Amino acid sequence: MMRKITIVGIGHTVFGNLSDFDLVDIMSFASANALDDADIRKERKIIEQVFVSNMGGGMINHQAGIASSLVSRIDLEPAMAELVENGPASGSSALKCAFMAIASGMVDVVMVTGGELMRTVTGWKGTDFVASLLHPEVEYNYGLTLPAFAGMFTRMYMERYGLTERELAMVAVKDHENGARNPYAHVRIPCTLEAIHDGENAHVVNNYIAEPLRLYGMCPVSDGAATLILCALDSPKMKYFKKKEPILISGIGAATDTHCIHNRKDPLELKAVRLSAERAYEMAGLKPMDISFAELHDAFVILELVISEEVGFFERGKAKEAVESGATRIDGNLPINTSGGLKSKGHPLGATGVSQVFELVKQLRGEAEEGRQVKDPKHGMAVNFGGFGNNVVTTICSKE
Amino acid sequence: MIDFSMYGQKEPEVYAYKCPDCGTLYYPAPMICKKCGARRDPSGVIFSSWEQVPLGGKCKLLAWTRVYALPEGFDVKYLLFGIVEFENGLRASGRLLVDNPHTGMELEAKIGVVKEKVGEDIYGFMFDIR
Ligand SMILES: [Zn+2]
Repeated sequence: MMRKITIVGIGHTVFGNLSDFDLVDIMSFASANALDDADIRKERKIIEQVFVSNMGGGMINHQAGIASSLVSRIDLEPAMAELVENGPASGSSALKCAFMAIASGMVDVVMVTGGELMRTVTGWKGTDFVASLLHPEVEYNYGLTLPAFAGMFTRMYMERYGLTERELAMVAVKDHENGARNPYAHVRIPCTLEAIHDGENAHVVNNYIAEPLRLYGMCPVSDGAATLILCALDSPKMKYFKKKEPILISGIGAATDTHCIHNRKDPLELKAVRLSAERAYEMAGLKPMDISFAELHDAFVILELVISEEVGFFERGKAKEAVESGATRIDGNLPINTSGGLKSKGHPLGATGVSQVFELVKQLRGEAEEGRQVKDPKHGMAVNFGGFGNNVVTTICSKE
Repeated sequence: MIDFSMYGQKEPEVYAYKCPDCGTLYYPAPMICKKCGARRDPSGVIFSSWEQVPLGGKCKLLAWTRVYALPEGFDVKYLLFGIVEFENGLRASGRLLVDNPHTGMELEAKIGVVKEKVGEDIYGFMFDIR
């Protein structure tokens, strides 16, 4: 029987342009917030292990040994510390490492901190840095980027399932509605269909980035950090965590797919998403219909739709109907991206997976802000998408 | 991928690789055959080398996009990209030279300079009208 593992503390920085700070500063800020949330600032040395998630520390910030640096900055020595890198899914991968470390019995209390600082370089350089995830020879060399593949993916989906640009814009409107109420979100401005699609000047504001994907079809470039503190439910150390209700990690699963996108038989199938979700459902003993709300990796709005289909919420090609009907809005029967999603909250690569689970915990505790609290949720799911779907992690959190 | 070393060969080419045991073609070359598990040894010392088969010619456009936000090293307003399928069933991503493409159209895969670096030109697929 696997140990039950709970989340006992959470921390977050605001997402946005934090280029006045350094990478470990923003990670320290989220980590310290989590120590306070867990009410263990004085007893912080009970943390035995720290996993840090980040993608660009070496390439963008010219910094190595980030995990050791963080531990020292928040006075957690002699805790063990390592960096986990899995592209834009680094955060959930670090959480998965923490989960495995506790499940193995090696440790009881683990901190997971994810962070990214990329507004310190130009958009031109930042785009190149993220594109380094692609195959170096047969993709990256051409000037191909993640948005380029997302554009091609969007067009294929539109042509096969009849999705329209207006329906895509509706996803963005819904995400911004939630993000506007999230104090941590990067873009806290609601947007209307009139402004980004229907209006006369809409397409001047909402211009093409990678046809048919427009500006409002993509997440902003954000800095930020988020932290989770985990403890085994059977550990005597649970006595330190009395202030907040512990939230159970009921399932966690991951899967990989081909590195080269052209080598997928059906490029519209995101097999790693489906498999990672199946593995998480199996561990949790749950089915898609049991999930009360979800955070899905909408770096591009098309991904919110396709991921929601791959994890079994909707039939293939039908996710747009849920957007039309309002089922995925905060007051619908399956709210999606209650935090604003990557689209509105922002996407600091290494922080994103941790931030998604931070949102699950907030919702399950009933601590979400006015106007974006899901009514009486039982189980929340987070899907964190690495590369263009070649390494995906799904986490399910539940009320204990 | 690009091999200028063969004596007398002037035109750069892009190659697919053929598994010597089961004949399956790959682009790019894997280290282990997906189908039969045969190993590729780039040095050709321990295991037999895989035959290089020039990849190009007639192909069909499966997906395309026009990108306005290009990465460092690409200083133009926009570029078009596409994924194509060749007649032998292999697929590849590359640059698209057609300005008003449509999915399913027939194209010709040529080899050209896709990226200019200091002291080095990088060759790759350019998909154009047949
Ligand atoms: Zn073979």
